[in-house]
Amino acid sequence: MNAHRVSEALANQGSFKDDLVAEIPGLRAFATSLCGSVSVADDLVQDALLKAWSNSSKFQPGTSLRAWLFTILRNSYYSQYRRRVREIQDSDGVYARGIAVAGDQESHLDLADFRKALGMLPPEQREVLTLVGASGLTYEEAAEICGVEVGTIKSRLSRARAKLSELLGLDE
Amino acid sequence: MPRNTIHRPTDGVGKQAASRGLDVRSLERIGSSLKAHYEDLVRTPIPAKFLELLDQLEANERTSSVGSAGKPR
Repeated sequence: MNAHRVSEALANQGSFKDDLVAEIPGLRAFATSLCGSVSVADDLVQDALLKAWSNSSKFQPGTSLRAWLFTILRNSYYSQYRRRVREIQDSDGVYARGIAVAGDQESHLDLADFRKALGMLPPEQREVLTLVGASGLTYEEAAEICGVEVGTIKSRLSRARAKLSELLGLDE
Repeated sequence: MPRNTIHRPTDGVGKQAASRGLDVRSLERIGSSLKAHYEDLVRTPIPAKFLELLDQLEANERTSSVGSAGKPR
């Protein structure tokens, strides 16, 4: 590699780093929603950042960095972390910071109640709610991240909403 | 590359499930609560350790790139 190529590569790497930083808040939100624990979520995020960095050559520019990172994080969760989350039973204060009143819209439910209900759903439903309903990914991106068909995403979403509604007593 | 924004509208949240028995009001409450939950998490400041980690990775990369410049990969 000549000096010019090196500096070019470094410049590109620099912007990749900035892109990663920009995705950290969303990545943490997804991780926390998925595992229900802020501290485990941060371990997942750190793991995903390390993997993303060492595999940066596999990222295809022009595709969604967010979707790529979510895929990496999700794979770690299911392969390594899921059991661990069950073991620790979240003694670390799940959503410790979640004292914020849920915004301005009057239709919001109590945030703590909502999170409790969310935590009772199977992870397959939690993740689809988070991906499509909150992080703004498309059905197609969510399907790719979860490795299933779009139709499966839609039916999981329906089941997740029905279950939440039941848990929160919305349909009474 | 364009950065995604958090606020991309999520079309159709609700319409589909409506046919399965959930009323529109319930769907709206679930949808807005979900967004409030997520936004609350997204607003949390990024812990310094993540920025330090990326700085460290970048520094390592520079060191090893300079060290290996000119060598075949």
